[in-house]
Amino acid sequence: MKLFRDSILGMILFIMIPLAGWSQSMPARALDNVTIHTAEGKTIETGTIVWRNGIIEAIGSDVSIPFDAYVIDGGDSLYVYPGFIDGLALWASPDLPAKYSKPEAPGNPGYERAGIQPHRQPNKLLAKADSFKKARKHGFTTAALGLKGQMLPGQIDLFFVNGKDTGAYLIREGIGLSASFEQAPGSFGNGAYPATLMGVMARFRQLWYDAAALREQSAYYASVSSGYPVPARDEVLEALYPAMDKEQPLFFKADTKEHISRLFRLKDELDFNVVLVSGKEGFQQAEELRKRNIPVLASVDFPEEPGWRVKEREGEDEAEVTEEMRRFRERQLQAYQARITNIQRLIEAGVKVGYASNGMKIEDLKKHIQILMDEGGLSENQILAMLTQHTADILGIGDKTGDLKQGHVASFTVFTRPFTEAEAQALYSVSGGKLSEFEITTSEKEDKAE
Amino acid sequence: MHTYLSIILLSCLSLVITVEPAKAQITEKAEFGKFAITNATIHTVNSGVIEGGVVLIDGEKISYVGKNAKITADYTHIDASGKHVYPGLMDSGTLLGLLEISAVPVTNDQAELGEYNPHVLAFTAINPGSVAIPVTRVNGVTHVISLPVSGRISGKATLIDLYGYTPDSMAVRAKAALHINWPSAYKQGGWDDRKPEKIKEEYQKNIKELNEYWKKAGFYNKMMNEYEENSSGKTKPDQNRQLDAMREVIAGDIPVIISVERANDILDVIKWTREHKGAKFILAGVEEGWRVAEEIAEAGLPCLVSTLYTPVRDYDNYQRPYQNPGLLHKAGVKVAIATGETENVRNLPYHAGYAAAYGLGKEEALKAVTINPAEIFGVDDRLGSIETGKQANLIISDGDPFEPLTTIEQVFIRGYKIPMVSRHTQLYEEYLHRGAVKN
Amino acid sequence: MRIIVALMYALLGTFLSGHAQEKGSVLIKHGTVLTITNGEMENTDVLIERGIITEIGQGLVAPDGVETVDATGKYVMPGIIDAHSHIAGVHINEWTHPVTAEVTMEESVNPNDINIYWALAGGVTTINLMHGSANVIGGRNETLKLRYGAGLEELPFEGAPQTIKFALGENPTRVHGQGFGVQPRTRMGVEQVIREHFDAALDYKRRREAYLKAKKEYDNRPKGIPPLPVARNLRLEVLADIIDGKILVHCHSYRADEILMLMRVFEDYGIEGYTFQHANEAFKVAPELRKNGAHTSVFSDWWAYKFEVYYSTAYNASILNANGITNSINSDSGELIRHLNHEAAKTVHYGGTSVEEALKMITINPAIQLGIDNRVGSVEEGKHGDVAIWSGHPLSVYSMCEKTFIDGKKYFDRERDDDDMRLKIDPEADYEEPARRWYEREKYEDSCLQGAIVRFGEEGMSIQQGSY
Repeated sequence: MKLFRDSILGMILFIMIPLAGWSQSMPARALDNVTIHTAEGKTIETGTIVWRNGIIEAIGSDVSIPFDAYVIDGGDSLYVYPGFIDGLALWASPDLPAKYSKPEAPGNPGYERAGIQPHRQPNKLLAKADSFKKARKHGFTTAALGLKGQMLPGQIDLFFVNGKDTGAYLIREGIGLSASFEQAPGSFGNGAYPATLMGVMARFRQLWYDAAALREQSAYYASVSSGYPVPARDEVLEALYPAMDKEQPLFFKADTKEHISRLFRLKDELDFNVVLVSGKEGFQQAEELRKRNIPVLASVDFPEEPGWRVKEREGEDEAEVTEEMRRFRERQLQAYQARITNIQRLIEAGVKVGYASNGMKIEDLKKHIQILMDEGGLSENQILAMLTQHTADILGIGDKTGDLKQGHVASFTVFTRPFTEAEAQALYSVSGGKLSEFEITTSEKEDKAE
Repeated sequence: MHTYLSIILLSCLSLVITVEPAKAQITEKAEFGKFAITNATIHTVNSGVIEGGVVLIDGEKISYVGKNAKITADYTHIDASGKHVYPGLMDSGTLLGLLEISAVPVTNDQAELGEYNPHVLAFTAINPGSVAIPVTRVNGVTHVISLPVSGRISGKATLIDLYGYTPDSMAVRAKAALHINWPSAYKQGGWDDRKPEKIKEEYQKNIKELNEYWKKAGFYNKMMNEYEENSSGKTKPDQNRQLDAMREVIAGDIPVIISVERANDILDVIKWTREHKGAKFILAGVEEGWRVAEEIAEAGLPCLVSTLYTPVRDYDNYQRPYQNPGLLHKAGVKVAIATGETENVRNLPYHAGYAAAYGLGKEEALKAVTINPAEIFGVDDRLGSIETGKQANLIISDGDPFEPLTTIEQVFIRGYKIPMVSRHTQLYEEYLHRGAVKN
Repeated sequence: MRIIVALMYALLGTFLSGHAQEKGSVLIKHGTVLTITNGEMENTDVLIERGIITEIGQGLVAPDGVETVDATGKYVMPGIIDAHSHIAGVHINEWTHPVTAEVTMEESVNPNDINIYWALAGGVTTINLMHGSANVIGGRNETLKLRYGAGLEELPFEGAPQTIKFALGENPTRVHGQGFGVQPRTRMGVEQVIREHFDAALDYKRRREAYLKAKKEYDNRPKGIPPLPVARNLRLEVLADIIDGKILVHCHSYRADEILMLMRVFEDYGIEGYTFQHANEAFKVAPELRKNGAHTSVFSDWWAYKFEVYYSTAYNASILNANGITNSINSDSGELIRHLNHEAAKTVHYGGTSVEEALKMITINPAIQLGIDNRVGSVEEGKHGDVAIWSGHPLSVYSMCEKTFIDGKKYFDRERDDDDMRLKIDPEADYEEPARRWYEREKYEDSCLQGAIVRFGEEGMSIQQGSY
């Protein structure tokens, strides 16, 4: 019902964006008197942003606002950041089945049961529209949306995070293929091939061989007039062609040092392009990632801080700490710190690092950003760049979005305080020029505009 | 093709022959009577080592140990020059006789259903025909504790020797101890995905249950005692088999083996045993005993432990399992070796050997498989050392029985001269020189 | 704070990165050297330079910069080789299909497994990391050197031939026949699964080669009808390689009849140089094994845990050895691997194998079975510097391994043995790890596959430990 109470503003915007082929100028919008932070690390005090047709027309501290611009006055107390970009988000994916039945022949389960679904398209399957709302409130204006799954869950489509009916806000489809080392779902009683890491490795290879053969047969078939067997259509294998041609990178999830090694091996053998997703222990492969020019859409889903450390910090008394416990804790802390400084070390090594939630709850982002700032060795600017321009670059849209620049897509978020601060709340979100307004409350925050 | 067929036939036949149950346990009858073992190095355990000594066996008992025996003609003479005589070894925790083939459930009698089964008796299910029994005893193991293992109170363990046609003849103590599985405050394995709070909650609940059961048994015992003392004017209380089975435990007539592994669990057990006076307690498993050895010693609880298992925690020193018996002993704990094995209880001497090498020392390790368990289970009047009047449980070997290179040449159990034969030796004899391919 | 953190990483980094295939040099003086292939040599020095044993003799002088270790009163023996192990594995069983030759344990190595260190502490330097026994033809195995701390890429034994796991009897028939209702349900079926797949591999090879030839011709000069592609098939390719003798077979087996069956099948397909693993009833068909040149790799004393090992004997190894079969003693267990010396000693105990022959069963014999006997398995000039120093004769229960070298580099030193030797730490791991009952350690663990322990790690669920 709230949606119907929305301001005129929302209605104007609604008709404004999705129309293709502009024949004439549409009214502009402007945000005035705000502190603007760019992905490059510049701060513009008392700045102004003007946008029209979803594109930033002007930005700076000395910008003249066009006569036809509808202006929001920030009153010098609001902070504007380029919209965050989720490099691989699963929050709009349908959930996986809670239970898997035992396949008839676990050794030949068929593609779907094996977790091989590279042909699936998120834009046709997206479920939870409310998750978009939530993403905007957390500062996201653009997201590469993937599907939950196993080895090859599906395609990745790029969206503006600005609509209820997301399909209409698709920027580009098939920017990559999701991939991981995950086995077919189920365990010993109800699992299927591939049930092991080594099985997954072998299955990847076999898929590539099968696709190559099918493709060749299709080519031969097309090249002769008659007398040649018609190739059987196979949407799964056909969906691999762009990856085989390196037109579509695999967004490959791998965390451990060893898994990343295995990924290198597979890549070298099958020759595909890779974006490393998650990469929680990427720092251990930082040099190799840099050499191979593989970007990382990093996870900030850090492990829980060791409980004893929290207690210690909060001055809680604890039972006697034995020498053995002390040593155990020392190493545990090292391991914990290695994980939270992963991104910093990747960046230092010269690896391009963007951000992917990849299953992490969006509510946890702020907490983890705080950890990155406090102990992860990253500055606010570095975090901002990771969440925006660097992710845009990795997704191949860095020339159009990712920063607040004239000519870029108008995607940004207006916060009540610097985004790294715990009390910061989003007041407005502009995604592809489309504005949403949020109610600021201490308890419940509601999406106002649509 | 003919060749293959005959080979197949032959292997089938040989299988059939070995399956024949009549031969399953005793392949030759044991001799019984009077035996004189002379010129032996006798490791008495209780009174040192006697070089060039004599042991006389008269029926079930040792009638003489020393240097200058008068050996009458009616003794069968065994010259043990250059040989060693030890008491038969005892394993303080096994499933021997209860479990034949672990992967074949119908041969598994070690785990009854239900959480509280103080009334079920391992003694009942001991299969004297178990193929593993001769296999075990020819390696020098003459006695075992066999225990039921399921639930909270698993039932009663039995102490048997490894010779006999019936459990009755094998039993040293038909009901040797009650077995309790202490509820752990930790995950039970990698598969255990309970949250810490849940584990804690269940742990407390389990202990509460155990306490209530114990209290109930105590009440029942008191009531029955009173009734039995003087029944006049009292209505006979209903009989309860389970609680009846607890009476001898509560009275301290038979001890309680508490299986517990983790350091903090052990501390809880110690506290618990102090709250349940009257009964006698023994700890078993005790893999982390070394972490709380002082506390165990102070509580005076004997421990049934072993050595051949991997460290409990990934960050434990690799030697800890080997060192555990030694560290416990050093703190003042009485230790006995319990392998927890079934078909390979025969490795008991090697468990002891590792304990000896890693801190327990040879002498103490020998005690841990002889006199210590005999004392712990209250049968040291009969077992555990080479002494006049004790049961004739002996092994004759060409060296240290803990060394795998040593051969056990003869075993006596309860005076019976055991045929040194088992399925394993029989198959060896038959197949060592099976003959040519066409045989 | 930042600086401290940075420093910590600097330290951690040097520890974790290790040094790729570092070869070491060391001179071990005055030891009793159990050469295996050349008897026992008292008061003898062994010089290892850059990973290779360069000299064995007396009065050797350490070259500049080479550390000297005094082994007076101690024994020096080659590193123990375990021909059947599942430590250091991520997953063990691709159990889903009766034939999974396409998978390889090379891609299932966990270099951080603490069991590696515990094995080193028992003088083990090389293992055959085997695939599990759920399938008639399982995955390929991987021969590893236990270079703990050197990382994933550095564990494989360079140049070792490929081997593959087969499995007969209860495990494959139970998993597939009984569990999933697909063949094989019986030992009859097991034979036909092997034959069918071998036939398919031969057909595949023929068709694939014909296609590649036709494709080459057509692509050069497109004329007539193009060839119909025959996709590369990893599974069949590996099977064809077995028939071509490029991959050595290590077959999990117990009963005499199934051992004979496989030898007949292999004779029909011309496969040689294979090893029967476990082979509890191999003693019953020793003459046939001998005739076919088959090897065996057995437990010292495991039996009766399942029906197919009920009629077996701890004298198996001795009978096989007496019948001239190259036999090794293996562990198949993270526990036994820590004292394989002691397991080998049991062959003396059961059946009177000589001490010399017993030692071969954990050194040169497994090396032969893995096709690496020209590089390891004995203390010989020119062989790898994989040796261990023992406090006493390694067949004594009281002897302890004191130092273990691989390629001349020390990977275990009892004098510098820390409590916590983990390489990788899960920051969320509990201080207290799960408990287990003392009477159900490893063997009786309730599990999916006999003896296989289901584990949940960061890399998902896995079935680990033995596959017996």
